[in-house]
Amino acid sequence: MEDKTKNNNEIIALKGLTKRFGKTIVLNDISLSFEKGKTTVIIGPSGCGKTVLIKHIIVLLRPSSGEVYFHNQRIDDMPENKLEKVRTQMGFLFQGGALFDSFTVAENIMFPVQQHGTIKDKQKLNELVKTKLSLVGMDGFQEYYPARLSGGQKKRVALARAIALNPEVILYDEPTTGLDPIRADIINELILKMQKELGITSIVVTHDMNSASKIGDRIIMLHNGKILLEGNADTIKNSPLPQVQRFIKGEVSEKDLQSLQISFEDIKVNGKQ
Amino acid sequence: MAEAKQQNSTMVEDFGAMVVRGINHSGRFARFQFETFLASVATCFSPKTYPLIWNQMLAIGVRSVPVVAVTGAFVGMVLAIQAYDQLAGLGIAEHLGVLINLSVVKELGPVLAAIMLAGRVGGALTAELGTMNVTEQILAVRSMGTNPIRYLVAPRLIACLFLTPFLIIYADFLGMIGGYLISVPYLGINGRAYWNFSAQGVEMWDITIGIAKGFFFGAAIAGVSCYKGFHCKEGAQGVGQACTEAFVGSFIIILAIDFVLVVIFKAIYLSMWPLQLLL
Repeated sequence: MEDKTKNNNEIIALKGLTKRFGKTIVLNDISLSFEKGKTTVIIGPSGCGKTVLIKHIIVLLRPSSGEVYFHNQRIDDMPENKLEKVRTQMGFLFQGGALFDSFTVAENIMFPVQQHGTIKDKQKLNELVKTKLSLVGMDGFQEYYPARLSGGQKKRVALARAIALNPEVILYDEPTTGLDPIRADIINELILKMQKELGITSIVVTHDMNSASKIGDRIIMLHNGKILLEGNADTIKNSPLPQVQRFIKGEVSEKDLQSLQISFEDIKVNGKQ
Repeated sequence: MAEAKQQNSTMVEDFGAMVVRGINHSGRFARFQFETFLASVATCFSPKTYPLIWNQMLAIGVRSVPVVAVTGAFVGMVLAIQAYDQLAGLGIAEHLGVLINLSVVKELGPVLAAIMLAGRVGGALTAELGTMNVTEQILAVRSMGTNPIRYLVAPRLIACLFLTPFLIIYADFLGMIGGYLISVPYLGINGRAYWNFSAQGVEMWDITIGIAKGFFFGAAIAGVSCYKGFHCKEGAQGVGQACTEAFVGSFIIILAIDFVLVVIFKAIYLSMWPLQLLL
């Protein structure tokens, strides 16, 4: 009985996901499931395969082996034309926003709607743009080109574009990276708002521990392509694993420190010569 | 000895890796072109996407008219100056018209216009798509459930394919005028004789094949440039490199296609020639 309810709430599942680029294994046999309406945060040091992982969820990358399910339907082996429909049910917020720079803010947000032909009336489109922009606090910027916006504003517009088709899931790729703490917190609040007001399932990839503990119902830590730890903010904080503690406190490992020292000593020696 | 052996084996390895890379590359290129072809056919049948094509036609076609026309005019003018002495020495300066107009219409007009377009249009296409690629905008198109080849490549290919022949007409026309202006008013050749010999020497067939080449050149420019843009490496250097490769690639493909087409058209002409006599 319990198992059945669990299945009902599951919206995305990864089974034995492995990704290789040439000889490097980026993701190694990862199995995860994501619950509807919950925010899951995937943390880990840069280059541990976080971004590669969420790109697999929307099948922008195809796994070397393993399976990806969305609403219990296998999507990783679907042809591109069938995937298009699946992708309209997900929003993806890119790290740099990836707004189209030849379009205005309004045209950027209209793009997915026009592509899928859901609304054709010009006035209704403008209303939709206004609603979505108000949700991210950017109403009034309709006629701006992305080049005139700051980093945080770009991400907010990109978020408005990601929710233009009312997706069930939003995937956030490093949403707070490169923003000052206050702008970063605005994004955190927006992610919480999307979950509370629109009931959106969020999967967030970040290396910002503050952001993770604030927004995450569940936190998963990746290390060298494998799941190191899974739980809520407290589990992570109280974990005895040295890698986890170093990540939380932002400390380098002894090994890295040693390599730094060696290179400094080399310079000293060379300087004397 | 052992070192030489090792060097040999790395040479063999490098060569093998180069072959594998080459095959991979051509496979990707062929697949991209096949997808582009399918997407372009689909685009032709969906009126919703026509505005995208008009926009590209404006950028690719209309805005290229001046440079292509200037190219054509100079070709005609240079040919007139260069060929005059030889023909005048033989006492057949009036035949200059045939020489200029035939060269312009059959070869120089189409090829030089195409090369000009490879620089102007091809460079812009690669730089635009390459920048979109490195800033993840192409990925963003895909993530929103739209096929980027259908949305970005197909309209560009269609615009290039259909407008290159028209641009060649401009180059041909200005080439003829340039040649005439130098030959008749400047070099003092009899105008009536100039045009008479031209009319006798240049056949409808010559003009047709010159323009027909435009379809192939246009497709080659768009195909190569879009491919390079879609597969460029990260960073400013990656985009720059892709632009260079796109230009050099289109240039060589234009010349190679030209050679193949000349052989094919000649064979067609020779097999049709007896039929023409019957008419």
